[in-house]
Amino acid sequence: MLEKCIGQQRVRRIQRAARQAKITFLCLFMTVVVMRGMLGAGKFGTPAQDLDDLTTHFYAARKHGEPHRVLVEAQPENENGSENDPKNYATFDFNKILKDEGGEEEKPDPNKPYTLGPKISDWDEQRGEWLKRNPNFPNFIRENKPRVLLVTGSSPKPCENPVGDHYLLKSIKNKIDYCRLHGIEIFYNMALLDAEMAGFWAKLPLIRKLLLSHPEVEFLWWMDSDAMFTDMAFELPWERYKDVNLVMHGWNEMVYDQKNWIGLNTGSFLLRNNQWALDLLDAWAPMGPKGKIRDEAGKILTRELKGRPVFEADDQSAMVYLLATQRDTWGNKVYLESGYYLHGYWGILVDKYEEMIENYHPGFGDHRWPLVTHFVGCKPCGKFGDYPVEKCLKQMDRAFNFGDNQVLQIYGFTHKSLASRRVKRVRNETGNPLEAKDDLGLMHPAFKAVKVSTSS
Amino acid sequence: MIPRGRQIHKTFNNIKITILCGFVTILVLRGTIGIGNLSSSEADAVNQNLIEETNRVLAEIRSDKDPDDPADSTDEPQFLSLNDTYTLGPKIVGWDQQRKVWLSQNPEFPSSVNGKPRILLLTGSPPNPCDNPIGDHYLLKAVKNKIDYCRIHGIEIVYNMAHLDKELAGYWAKLPMIRRLMLSHPEVEWIWWMDSDAMFTDMVFEVPLSKYSNHNLVIHGYPDLLFEQKSWIALNTGSFLFRNCQWSLDLLDTWAPMGPKGPIREEAGKVLTANLKGRPAFEADDQSALIYLLLSQKEKWMDKVYVENQYYLHGYWLGLVERYEEMIEKYHPGLGDERWPFVTHFVGCKPCGSYGDYPVEQCLKSMERAFNFADNQVLKFYGFGHRGLLSPKIKRIANETATPLEYMDQVDIRRPVHGDESSGSSETKS
Repeated sequence: MLEKCIGQQRVRRIQRAARQAKITFLCLFMTVVVMRGMLGAGKFGTPAQDLDDLTTHFYAARKHGEPHRVLVEAQPENENGSENDPKNYATFDFNKILKDEGGEEEKPDPNKPYTLGPKISDWDEQRGEWLKRNPNFPNFIRENKPRVLLVTGSSPKPCENPVGDHYLLKSIKNKIDYCRLHGIEIFYNMALLDAEMAGFWAKLPLIRKLLLSHPEVEFLWWMDSDAMFTDMAFELPWERYKDVNLVMHGWNEMVYDQKNWIGLNTGSFLLRNNQWALDLLDAWAPMGPKGKIRDEAGKILTRELKGRPVFEADDQSAMVYLLATQRDTWGNKVYLESGYYLHGYWGILVDKYEEMIENYHPGFGDHRWPLVTHFVGCKPCGKFGDYPVEKCLKQMDRAFNFGDNQVLQIYGFTHKSLASRRVKRVRNETGNPLEAKDDLGLMHPAFKAVKVSTSS
Repeated sequence: MIPRGRQIHKTFNNIKITILCGFVTILVLRGTIGIGNLSSSEADAVNQNLIEETNRVLAEIRSDKDPDDPADSTDEPQFLSLNDTYTLGPKIVGWDQQRKVWLSQNPEFPSSVNGKPRILLLTGSPPNPCDNPIGDHYLLKAVKNKIDYCRIHGIEIVYNMAHLDKELAGYWAKLPMIRRLMLSHPEVEWIWWMDSDAMFTDMVFEVPLSKYSNHNLVIHGYPDLLFEQKSWIALNTGSFLFRNCQWSLDLLDTWAPMGPKGPIREEAGKVLTANLKGRPAFEADDQSALIYLLLSQKEKWMDKVYVENQYYLHGYWLGLVERYEEMIEKYHPGLGDERWPFVTHFVGCKPCGSYGDYPVEQCLKSMERAFNFADNQVLKFYGFGHRGLLSPKIKRIANETATPLEYMDQVDIRRPVHGDESSGSSETKS
């Protein structure tokens, strides 16, 4: 029909043009789709986001309201049309609460190398003078008992795992108990002091800040949030460390000879408050700043250290590298402790608790009764750990109860089993509470005693 | 009619377009859903299993089921009947004397350190995860808040997560724990109970214990609400101090009988609702029971009870949290009263449960503000502060220097309070 209006040749040309146009558009469309799939299209999003949006849109009525949760929760049945109930915690989106208010991030000067802070060279003198001026804040509580500050922490935002905060809570209760029994103070950090040193490196600026702000502290004890005390009776052998400044769990051969990246563990270590420590922190920090520096440093570490997988630089590998390459500078003041579990890898310990209860007693701190059980790789606060969730959480419960039993027995109770939250009485109440047996000697332990001469 | 060549050409073009379209479709699908059905289905299946397994574990952890509950547990829990008498433990007599003797025999565990009586702060939460994960997060923040205050003031903390007595569960659980701690720690002079939903908001203020040398129970409240109106909120048992003495043991023994769950607590609840003004109908709670007890046995107990309202030993959060900015502008820490509240207590918020008495957003925002308000007072010492009362991020408020101790001397919040004789923390932990 069209032929009659325009003429056959014309029509054919139009048809051909139309065909080619079709192909052109198709190819263009394909290109756009491929690009979008690979790179994303800015605010128009990626196909994956599209799918998320669609899912959200269709499931919005049932969705929990927390878009970052991978672990979908079993929703309890809510009969009252609870999506709109402002008093219902289950349907609330926490992201509405935190406000990232004002202020630009301090942009680091790309030309200046990273430093933890202004160089201090006379810390020993400054500290010494301060201690002299403040005799009420001595750095030694008794002879051979230095003042210790245990430092740990977690993020100020809720965990991505719905039970993560619960395990953080149990972990801090566990530390509170140990520290109360041993006369140690706790600092629980929830602030990121330096945005460049985020992640596992965040402890460095924090440690430096605490050392400088608390001259009365003799030893700073860093402990990861996923480590728990499992020997409440073990007191650290302070005399052994009187000539060293850094105590970590590890083995000399593995660090200095093999350069093994797990030759030591920075999840639980002691650092003395002096100039040497500040210098060490300054030497340790350069691999930390996030971004290119940390990535490049990670490659160096993977190359130089035995067994290290490929990932960005972490503080532990950096410490191994530092000690292995600069042994002369630092080695003589570092004590790699393997006589007891200042850090105890959970994988080899948790199954043996019942055996330990049968054969041994608290106070050993070593393989017979570990001081610390450290849940490396479990990451209860995050979405994904290196181990199955069930194993991690159940074992953390067991470790917690194992430690808690030693505290509860002071008061005559114990958990019904290592897996149970319930407690049962093991010692009857009497009318003479002061004659109660204190088997472990934890009710009024010697390491908590006050110097008699100064008691008022 | 169309020549063969052209037909082939046309077909060929159609095929080209078909293939192109097919390719585009596959790409789009790949971009959104994943590579075909070769490997993903397996990975998907594994992933799905993982998610299901995880959810099962989480559900198990969060349920109240315990591996040690007997498999054939009857549905009816055993309750004490109305005729049973409940006791916290064997009657203790002469505790003051026993304590005195013990202290003289154990001089290395004195009841005062550097002039300050030894205080033990007791708080706690249930052993299972909260109904809502946000609850656990705020329990964590609240305990950090308490750790900070107690570190600065040389107070020991006991965080209880065990139900020592299955009869006295819930808000009554504090009674057996307080008694247990008193009897096990004669060196402790004061036991300070504090709810898990209460936060310290004045890091400098100290409880003026010298004011209470003739009293054994310090509790926030209003005497007129108590004696004239007999109101059920005349006193608040969310934050109070008990001296470690015979009087306290006797009061605990007298207080406990309304607590055992079941018919006793129900009946007691009715008595309390009938006798106290404004009390809704529900089972007996420790606060109403204490008020009732102190009213009905006024002559026996009240001379040793100090009803404190000069400062916020307990500060009801509504009316306080909105004014934080105003306080920051006009006042300073150390006052402890309505100008700078000592404790902000989030009564009714119940973040650990599923439902609160107030809108969730209001509660959580207020708790976050209170936490940051207090945290600022701690961070100030280190030269930092939160960017805003709702912000988890911090900013520097003092530059780093090579002589950090000079800055510290100016802002050390332990020094002005403790003066020269200070306790700092030298032996207070011992």
